[in-house]
Amino acid sequence: MSSSNLAVLALASSFAAALGFVSEANAGRAAAQPTMDKCYGISLAGQNDCAAGPGTTCAGSSKLDYDTRAWKYVPAGTCETIATPNGKGLLKEA
Amino acid sequence: MDRLPIGAGVGFKPEHFAAILDGPPNLAFIEVHAENYMGDGGRPHAQLAALCERFALSIHGVGLSIGGEDPLDRDHLTRLAKLIERYKPQRFSEHLAWSSHGGEYFNDLLPLPYTPQTLARVVKHVSQVQEKLGRQMLLENPSTYIRFEESTIDEVDFLGAIVAATGCGLLLDINNVFVSAQNHGTDPRSYLANFPFDAVGEIHLGGHDADTDETGDVLLIDAHGCPVADPVWALFDEVIAQHGPMPSLIEWDNDVPAWPILLNEISRVTYILDQSTSASRVA
Amino acid sequence: MDGHRTESFVRALKDTGDRPPVGLVGPSDRRFAVHRNTVAIGLITALEVQFPAVLDLVGSEFFRATARAFLEASPPASPRLTTVGERFPEFLAGFEPALQFPYLADVARIEAARVRAYHAADTPRLGIETFSSVAADALEDLRIELHPAVAIVRSAHSAFTVFRMATGGLAPATISQWHAEDCLIDRPEFDPIVQLLAPGMAVFLHALQHGATLATATVAASESTASFDLSEALAIVIGGRLAIHLSTAQRDP
Repeated sequence: MSSSNLAVLALASSFAAALGFVSEANAGRAAAQPTMDKCYGISLAGQNDCAAGPGTTCAGSSKLDYDTRAWKYVPAGTCETIATPNGKGLLKEA
Repeated sequence: MDRLPIGAGVGFKPEHFAAILDGPPNLAFIEVHAENYMGDGGRPHAQLAALCERFALSIHGVGLSIGGEDPLDRDHLTRLAKLIERYKPQRFSEHLAWSSHGGEYFNDLLPLPYTPQTLARVVKHVSQVQEKLGRQMLLENPSTYIRFEESTIDEVDFLGAIVAATGCGLLLDINNVFVSAQNHGTDPRSYLANFPFDAVGEIHLGGHDADTDETGDVLLIDAHGCPVADPVWALFDEVIAQHGPMPSLIEWDNDVPAWPILLNEISRVTYILDQSTSASRVA
Repeated sequence: MDGHRTESFVRALKDTGDRPPVGLVGPSDRRFAVHRNTVAIGLITALEVQFPAVLDLVGSEFFRATARAFLEASPPASPRLTTVGERFPEFLAGFEPALQFPYLADVARIEAARVRAYHAADTPRLGIETFSSVAADALEDLRIELHPAVAIVRSAHSAFTVFRMATGGLAPATISQWHAEDCLIDRPEFDPIVQLLAPGMAVFLHALQHGATLATATVAASESTASFDLSEALAIVIGGRLAIHLSTAQRDP
């Protein structure tokens, strides 16, 4: 018998075990090490969540000399301090 | 017909939620952009529902593209109708502008030439909106930076003709009047002298930035990122003195300040409205 | 404004040159630029707000250039700015300058899921009492409908770890080897959370999301991961209050 069939056979006991975990843990998530990341970059906690996304505006932008052309694909962020199996990410300018 | 209370309002920003509920002296209504409340649920709706318990509500659209060449976006209009059904605001308003073309959205209030053809199109769109929503809407005069060679109708006459044809009301943005007049070298007082005030259901006040164009002429930008300018307050004062107090809103969309700074602006609106009320009582 | 005038206006709006459209009164280069800049800045800022981890990873200049390329390839159709980044992750997955960061599209998927979760419907969630009343012989055919805020993101390139490094939850450090990392995005009340899932959980939850019975989802998860722990998975579903509806109707394909 395959392990997956065994798992189905064990449904009732797993289900009972899960109910047990949850009632013991009572509040919140019963799973091991719940790595919850609260939203970040908030100026006023609990009021203006960054995941809210941008609000619309009926105003014009005053940045009249905003340069929309001379941008280059030069990475200059946290990616540079994260070394990965690919290296830090080197690229000729696009 | 529902109306906003006569008093000061403010464009709601989520960062001010707690401060507003904490004790809003003099605040009569709030205004939100329709497009920011078109999600299904979560904090935006929880906040709006809580605010509606306390204040009158104005829903202000920025994305219907009423001045556009395309037919109105039916899906968007349906979302708007659903939102209005849910919150039953005292007012709904939109702009004399366009923001979509060929199915693409441009995220700006773009200007249109004023011609018999564009008038017919705007009249048709305003009528469609009012029919779908089952209520009167207000249409706002724009800030403009450019003018079209093909325009043959004055903006005030254009707005008056829309009111006459559709029965809609107007949202008078006094900062927009000032910005456009400065940008085109015209007189804001003669614009206001001809404005169809009987149709005005709300006033907007916001801050603008100053720049210059390539010829060195003044170029004001309706950036809503600073306090209302003194000449705009002066125009507001005159309008209220002449036409009586009206629901009047402070808009501050960029570089949103701490609540006390907005409260200063709100207090100034309240002061001007109150002065007019007591003046009319004495008279 | 008739058809060709509008087309000229729209072209000038999207053009990176400085030309205004035809038919304007007087010198209008800088006057028209107010509109061109408002459109560009508004949409690019919208993406920056929705993808702060991607922004942090590549830096502002790279992000803005990428955002501009994305908006050209995939212009927004809706005036709801919350939807402007829906296709940004898939764009990043195929965008040549971004390919040096194989985790980037997955990090963007996490962020897009957070935005969706933030705005998802407030559907009531089932508590443990509803599960306690399910009969043992109904378990195999049980279908568990998950809350609309719930999303699963699977990455072959340690996207959860990178996401945490980019958002201050972990110090940026060396990742010596790529790890497959799955995460769960949800919104318990108003604020989205991102949670690392043990191997097999993603397959299980994904199957439930697509209407599989508990038995089918369990088989799928066990086949993908020998060590899959069903009781732990159910504890996440029940304890995390991920479910909104239970049914036992026979509708397996």
